[in-house]
Amino acid sequence: MVDSASNTENLIQIEIFPRRLLSPETAKELLVELSKIEGITRAFVQGPRLPVTVPYGPATGQIVNHKFSDTIRIGETDISLAVIVGRIRLEVLNSEIRDNIREVCERLLPMGLEFREGLFLPTRQTVSDYAKRGPGADPTVLGLTDPKGKVGNRICTLNPAE
Amino acid sequence: MAYEAQYYPGATSVAENRRKHMSGDVEKLREVSDDDLTLVLGHRAPGSDYPSTHPPLAEMGEPECSIREIVEPTPGAKAGDRVRYVQFVDSMYNAPSTPYFRSYAAAINYRGVDPGTLSGRQVVEARERDMEEIAKFQLETEMTCPALASLRGATVHGHSLRLPEDGIMFDMLDRCRLENGVVIMHKDQVGRAIDKKVDFGKPMSEEEAAKRTTIYRVDNVAFRDDAEVIEWVHTVFEKRTAYGFKPE
Repeated sequence: MVDSASNTENLIQIEIFPRRLLSPETAKELLVELSKIEGITRAFVQGPRLPVTVPYGPATGQIVNHKFSDTIRIGETDISLAVIVGRIRLEVLNSEIRDNIREVCERLLPMGLEFREGLFLPTRQTVSDYAKRGPGADPTVLGLTDPKGKVGNRICTLNPAE
Repeated sequence: MAYEAQYYPGATSVAENRRKHMSGDVEKLREVSDDDLTLVLGHRAPGSDYPSTHPPLAEMGEPECSIREIVEPTPGAKAGDRVRYVQFVDSMYNAPSTPYFRSYAAAINYRGVDPGTLSGRQVVEARERDMEEIAKFQLETEMTCPALASLRGATVHGHSLRLPEDGIMFDMLDRCRLENGVVIMHKDQVGRAIDKKVDFGKPMSEEEAAKRTTIYRVDNVAFRDDAEVIEWVHTVFEKRTAYGFKPE
């Protein structure tokens, strides 16, 4: 992993948007392949939330046990999916890595996908970020947290030794 | 001359399906038993009596009223049933029905119902046994594909999301699942676990769903392909504009 957010000017951000919401198996396959590509600085997985308990209605509080709720293992890191994977946003070093990623996606996602380049992850601290994390916050985690979650949760570092 | 009801203009398959849904002349595709239906609705235990909110009308001694004499009460009203609801959600990916057409079907073909249309869901309130009749009709016929439509009393979220890989409309409470090629419901419409799995049969193939849908889509039958519909929509808009909402 490369320290990114402090120097984001030359980095490329891409979004992988599959035509269908991914099952945990496909998501795992894709994320494992992506984790093997050198030069991805930050990644962000987004999708509809899978609640642990029924949030409202007559069944409030009952366990949901969703079929898409699973723990996937990437390298040495276990990630429990709190969402069904709908899109993946990445920050990469250069256009060659972007092309590699595109090739992996086209191979692993037979349902088709949209592959976009743009600005998807914040590169500077927003007011909410400042309110949540204060002035000395780590720039690499900007925009990577669950907006509804507690500060610091749901961020995984794949190779912490680096 | 006998009057023949006209429901919807247009010559495309979508227009034809819309006419079918509104007239109630739809094909029956599957069987859902009464007990299964009661289980997934979750209002009372299967096989139990209908709880009532008042004695049967025959025992109540109704006041003299010419309208009461003309209008035969529905079976549910006659027996004094509670008012209960059934709520359907339809995917925007070529689901057979849509909230408006479910409402048309209920309001045109059944009495004593209160259909409500919202952006992604449709609810019918009625006396319990009348409501069950409508729910069963909609579940058993081509108005419903078990993969692209489902019963959801709470958390309707999912109709406008992309389909998951298995093609079963996303449900955050996981009420419906694909098991051995058939769609089963293992929770009732509000997400409470039920004693047995209720089988709703095979999902429609993509081609069949595209053929039976009442949704105009550019990747199937586009709204603008139907000249007669466009003409009528324009006529309605023109008249609304010309006469305003309060013609005097």
